[in-house]
Amino acid sequence: MFALIKREIQDHIAYFIGAAVFSVVFIIISFSLISRYDHRKPPVFSIGFGVPAATIVIFGICAMGATQMYLDRTRKISALLSTLAVSRNQILLAKIITGILAILILFVPLTIAAGILLRLFTPPVPMFTGMVLEISVVVFLMAFACYCIGLQTGWNSSPVTPSLGALFLTCILIPLILIKGFGVHIAVILVLFIVASLIRTWHTFMKTSL
Amino acid sequence: MDENVIKVENLVKYFDGRCVLDGINLNVPRGCIYGLLGRNGSGKTTIIRILLGLEPPTRGQTFLLDTASTELSPKLHGRIGYVAEGHNLIQNYRVGRLIKLCKDLSLQWNDEFFDHLIETFRLPTDRRVKELSIGMRAQLNLALAMAIDPELLILDDPTLGLDTVARRRFLELAIELIQQQGRTILFCSHILGDVERIADKIGILAAGKLVVDCPLEELKERVKKLRIIFPESAPANLHLTEIINQQIQGREMVITVANWNKQKQTVLDTFKPSSCTEIPMSLEDIFIECTKPNPEYIES
Repeated sequence: MFALIKREIQDHIAYFIGAAVFSVVFIIISFSLISRYDHRKPPVFSIGFGVPAATIVIFGICAMGATQMYLDRTRKISALLSTLAVSRNQILLAKIITGILAILILFVPLTIAAGILLRLFTPPVPMFTGMVLEISVVVFLMAFACYCIGLQTGWNSSPVTPSLGALFLTCILIPLILIKGFGVHIAVILVLFIVASLIRTWHTFMKTSL
Repeated sequence: MDENVIKVENLVKYFDGRCVLDGINLNVPRGCIYGLLGRNGSGKTTIIRILLGLEPPTRGQTFLLDTASTELSPKLHGRIGYVAEGHNLIQNYRVGRLIKLCKDLSLQWNDEFFDHLIETFRLPTDRRVKELSIGMRAQLNLALAMAIDPELLILDDPTLGLDTVARRRFLELAIELIQQQGRTILFCSHILGDVERIADKIGILAAGKLVVDCPLEELKERVKKLRIIFPESAPANLHLTEIINQQIQGREMVITVANWNKQKQTVLDTFKPSSCTEIPMSLEDIFIECTKPNPEYIES
């Protein structure tokens, strides 16, 4: 299993480097923005920075899942691996673990930085700790859901179904976040989506010709 | 434990509504070298892919080492060496990296034998797989399959792209491997001379059916090609069963018959032929006769 994960990381090292670099850049910009924050002015620059950053993250994570599966399919990597002492389950699991690792490389430093920023620039209210944790969990789940969509898109020759799934999820999540904020209800929807998406990917991967 | 390392039971496979395999039954006993022959697109690779669990069957079941192909565990896969048609290797990897990956994912690895093969084939480990020639890729694939000391070796046209010397070396290696007791080999090839040299048992696929399934020697004994000269024009029908091919030209008739025996000889004698001579047949001749349309079955 470790050899499979190592292979996945080596093959997709660009995403890991990208995640680490993005994380560092994001933290630096966040520190600089917050240190110069003036509550009398509207946070136009913060929003102008946050929206493209989120878009890059969503597309980057989705692209990683898609690349993993697409390259596997076109280069017939699983066809070779599954003739060795490896099961299809292990091959897929290694891919997913690699995806989770990339997401963690991106978000763990960000979460730590957010915690530090809150301690530095807000009063010591326990509410904030819970808030950071809740937002971090939801953001991680959102990223993982994007990754799952990528996995499906990369394996299917027609990306229509995964794209429709992504659109449907976005239509539900954005209003919910805007109305109720980050919380358990969003996490539950995301977990359900992730489970359904992973089952579908697993089923396709297990049944398809390699 | 079953003596048959490979079992195929009533295997049917359709691709886009086209029947590729039509009720194939096949058994390969332990220690046997089975040569599976057939023309391009006859379904040889499909059988192998179904056996290895890479392709689902439409109907029927296949078993490798007493286990259904759909349920092969990593442990069992570790006992099977496979050389794929077209040498299915990760093209953008360096040879050294691919070797390390295969080694890491194997249950056992015979370093000594593998190094010997790499040295024999003079494979450069620092080059990418896609930069290797087809012959070198074939050799690499073969070395990787052999390094795990497989109990069962499945070779799908392994000598494709090899030059004569490399092909001969490969056959010698295969024979060396076979000499280690209990090894079984399923071997597909278009080079019938190679098959004839090493196979114990032959299967010939034609039009989705296994039209021949018997030991090589028996096949040569049982399939006869006869040139028969009649005093007058040759009869249109000899009333013989299992005629694989028949050509008539005036007084001369050339027939290929399966399961030639005394009864058939007696039936032929009733037509009072002037002469009847046997034309020697190589495996290639038998293969060509058997893959013509509507051959009858020659099963042991």
